[in-house]
Amino acid sequence: MIINIRDTIGTRCILKDDGQRLFNQIEPSLRDDMDVTLNFEGVSLFASPFFNFSIGQLIIAMPEDVVKNKLHIHNLDSVGQSVMSRVVENASKFHADRDYKKIVDNILELHAKEAD
Amino acid sequence: MLLPKKIAIPTLNDDRSDFCFLFELFDLVKLSPTTYHELDFTYCKFLRPNAVAFLGGLIRYCHNLGKTINILWATLSESISASLTLNGFGATFGFGSKRADPGHAIPYREDLVENPDEIINYLIDNWIGKGWVQVSPKLCNKIAGKMWEIYANSFEHSQTPIGVFTCGQHFRYHNQLVLSVIDFGIGIPANVKQFLNSDPRAEALPADACLRWAFESGNTTTVGVPRGLGLSLLQEFVSVNKGTLELYSSDGYVKMSSDGQVFQNNTHCFDGTVLHITLVCDEKYYLFSDELEGNL
Repeated sequence: MIINIRDTIGTRCILKDDGQRLFNQIEPSLRDDMDVTLNFEGVSLFASPFFNFSIGQLIIAMPEDVVKNKLHIHNLDSVGQSVMSRVVENASKFHADRDYKKIVDNILELHAKEAD
Repeated sequence: MLLPKKIAIPTLNDDRSDFCFLFELFDLVKLSPTTYHELDFTYCKFLRPNAVAFLGGLIRYCHNLGKTINILWATLSESISASLTLNGFGATFGFGSKRADPGHAIPYREDLVENPDEIINYLIDNWIGKGWVQVSPKLCNKIAGKMWEIYANSFEHSQTPIGVFTCGQHFRYHNQLVLSVIDFGIGIPANVKQFLNSDPRAEALPADACLRWAFESGNTTTVGVPRGLGLSLLQEFVSVNKGTLELYSSDGYVKMSSDGQVFQNNTHCFDGTVLHITLVCDEKYYLFSDELEGNL
């Protein structure tokens, strides 16, 4: 399956709703072991909410090797690549079951260090 | 303190003390039992765009509470009147008519709801893409995209009842380009505390510590989808440009510049969030290193 982002989303990939729409469109195909190509030709503006809800959510929802081997990104310019890389990095660190106590511990620990 | 019906607005720049005055005024008006106030500018010699955006938001916020704030237009100096006419603040609140050409003003703007294309066009056409700071089209798009994330974040997380307020100015004699984006929501520290509220210690977390956590790439107060505020590109740009990025939220304060990041607690608390960016309008042409070697 090839999706021309410019036709389906437009020249600006910035909204979480658009990202969610793309996720809904491609996730079933990837689950069916189909190859999906996202063609970003003609897209010039990017923001992380779009990638968080599309690619970021895929990374959380699917096995890593499926996303790596079956999802193909074409014609994404360097700006889009840098936004997406950050999202992928965040998604890889993301844990749905957050340890809130540990987060508070970390915040307090860092705060104490800064106060020294 | 009982707030008089007529409130004297002093000269307002964009130092921390100026923001503190605005935050204090916001609290006083919000808590005042009086439902009608007037803003008197007799002693105001200058009003920076951060104050314009804030006062616009204050008027809308009070209106939302059933209170009225009127501006005594006759008390404005000629130069402030001219400035408020050019940036469209005057026309928004019933003074003069809107100018087709805002000159060196970055027009006053109110967004009650998310208008992504309008906001991005505004940022490109009136701020970063106008040529006052010379950036490549690619970098212009990326900076506009990053600023859009600030708006998106405000609309999604701040619970602002009256939207987001923006105003800016190109100060040609100071070679500065400033832009303020303000929401009147619950603020980032409150969001972080709410998110962590299963731990009883969260409520007492200091604002600067909450902001430090929120600014770290990948940290997010949402569940289900990976997110994060990530101001790294803006920080990198203001650093190379020798500009500054300041953020006020609750009683937390952040300043990012070429000297690094400073997280502090403020003497005054503002429940919403102010993002104030000052760029230097120099002769340099800014672009990504993959566009040409030796640059950003």
